[in-house]
Amino acid sequence: MATRRLPPTLGLGSRSVAWFGDARSRAGAGFVLPAVIFLAVFVAYPVYDVLRLSMFAVDFSSDREAFVGLGNFVRILDDPKLPTVAWNTLVWTVFSLIGQFGLGLIAALCINQSLPGMTLVRTILLLPYVVPVIALALFWRWMLDGSFGVVSVTLQSLGLLAADQSPLALPSGAVVSVILANVWRGFPFVMISYWAALKGIPQDLYEAAQVDGAGIWQEFRYVTLPHLVAITKVMLLLRLIWTVTFFDIVWLITRGGPGGATEHWPIWIYQETMGFFRFGTGAALAVTLAVVLVAVSAIYLLVLNREGQT
Amino acid sequence: MRGWLRITTTYGITAVLVGFVGFPLLWMMISSVKPGAELFVRPPRILPHEITFVWYRNLLSSSDSVALFKNSLLVGVSTTLICLTMGALAAYGVTRFEFPGKRIFMLGGLIAYLFPAIVLFISIYMVINALGLTDTYLGLVLCHCILTFPFALWMLKSFFETVPIEIDEAAWVDGASYLRTFLSIILPLALPGIFSVAVFVFVLSWNEFLFASVLITNSDMKTIPIGIAEFITSFDVRWGEIMAMGTLATVPVVILFLCVQRYFISGVISGAVKG
Repeated sequence: MATRRLPPTLGLGSRSVAWFGDARSRAGAGFVLPAVIFLAVFVAYPVYDVLRLSMFAVDFSSDREAFVGLGNFVRILDDPKLPTVAWNTLVWTVFSLIGQFGLGLIAALCINQSLPGMTLVRTILLLPYVVPVIALALFWRWMLDGSFGVVSVTLQSLGLLAADQSPLALPSGAVVSVILANVWRGFPFVMISYWAALKGIPQDLYEAAQVDGAGIWQEFRYVTLPHLVAITKVMLLLRLIWTVTFFDIVWLITRGGPGGATEHWPIWIYQETMGFFRFGTGAALAVTLAVVLVAVSAIYLLVLNREGQT
Repeated sequence: MRGWLRITTTYGITAVLVGFVGFPLLWMMISSVKPGAELFVRPPRILPHEITFVWYRNLLSSSDSVALFKNSLLVGVSTTLICLTMGALAAYGVTRFEFPGKRIFMLGGLIAYLFPAIVLFISIYMVINALGLTDTYLGLVLCHCILTFPFALWMLKSFFETVPIEIDEAAWVDGASYLRTFLSIILPLALPGIFSVAVFVFVLSWNEFLFASVLITNSDMKTIPIGIAEFITSFDVRWGEIMAMGTLATVPVVILFLCVQRYFISGVISGAVKG
């Protein structure tokens, strides 16, 4: 098979590939063609379009667009709710991640014990991952119903809530409720990832530790924990991206209320676009979020790289 | 002593975790079979004195809620078919062939995998709108394909990688075309993996809320998440029916998930599944 060297401008990989010169590379390209077209139209173009839209004012009814430069971004900066939404987003993200990683790790340590019943426990603990968010939102709201919700009534009888009050009616109660819902839904994923990492730890390390007289805590600190660092680094970044941008749970439980107490960045994007039809501002909000996420990821990866070198 | 302590602590913590996960689900199911008089009492009773299926009967006798299930099924199955066809072809292409632009394609897939829906939904909505596909099943199906395709590609790629390329090469030597080799030899071998990816794609589509709420305004075409969300914003909150609806929406995906749990776990381990 005659393989020509790629011209330098097309050096797309280290391997030399014929520029569709032979049937095999044409066949390969043919197999991915539908996916390429699909990704170009529905991912690459929207990425470009959201950047473009962020600099336009869009009148959706007449479909007219007017260039406003950075006007949409200025408008975001001037918006009095910016500090609140940014703070809410931070609280939502940090506490969701702490909860998911904390519970995920604890659950992984439990199901990793070779004790009877743990396979069943693992299956049960995985269920929240597939439960539709809408169902989750509904039973959360039902349990927190001010008059008849099982959780609200319990809290009321303990004197933690006023009579007939729902935690969702209080700013702090609503924040705690949506974060707990997100922890409920998100921790199984962390659990399974940690569990997989735990299974990869060689058993003789524990035996050696026991011979050296290590206690349970020391075993955890010096054998288990170091083996979880790598997976934590990767998972933290992925879950950070997905938690900051997770819209459904908050929207379906509180719609950002009460009084904007649970309004985080995705809710703001949604309300600008679907509530006020200000597509330009919505796009600017989306771009801002993406830029912040890309910047945070870049810094995170840089720091990890540097640590890896020293 | 040490072992005894470990076992008790483990079971203690496990019990709390199972309660945290299981209680809300059980409570939903219990509430869906409680008669009205027992739903609305204080303090709430854990176990009902009487079981009723009246909420389920109400739901199943209303054509609106039956339509929600039909729509969700239609959208989910279509999404699965389109997404897996594209995904299996592409995964086969990248695992068996070298071609210019392959790395860029894989990088594009990775970016699509990381890109959150909320960032792109405005411009995706505008694309769908420009194509005249708002308020159509096809528009929603395409959106669900955007959400599911990147991870389907990743998972399918890892399944195809387990099939040795020597099998393909043997078929090629025997004169089978590339497409024929893919369809009649490799595809059947990767079938269990493909089936599990299909389940995940279906579940994601079944549960999806954002695009469904934005794209579909025609009430005959709404999917389950939108239908139930509207149920609750109407003036009287019918908790019995809502809990029955929640149960009906949850049970099918849980059953499907239990069938492919093993693959899900290996998918998480290979880093392919999106949380």
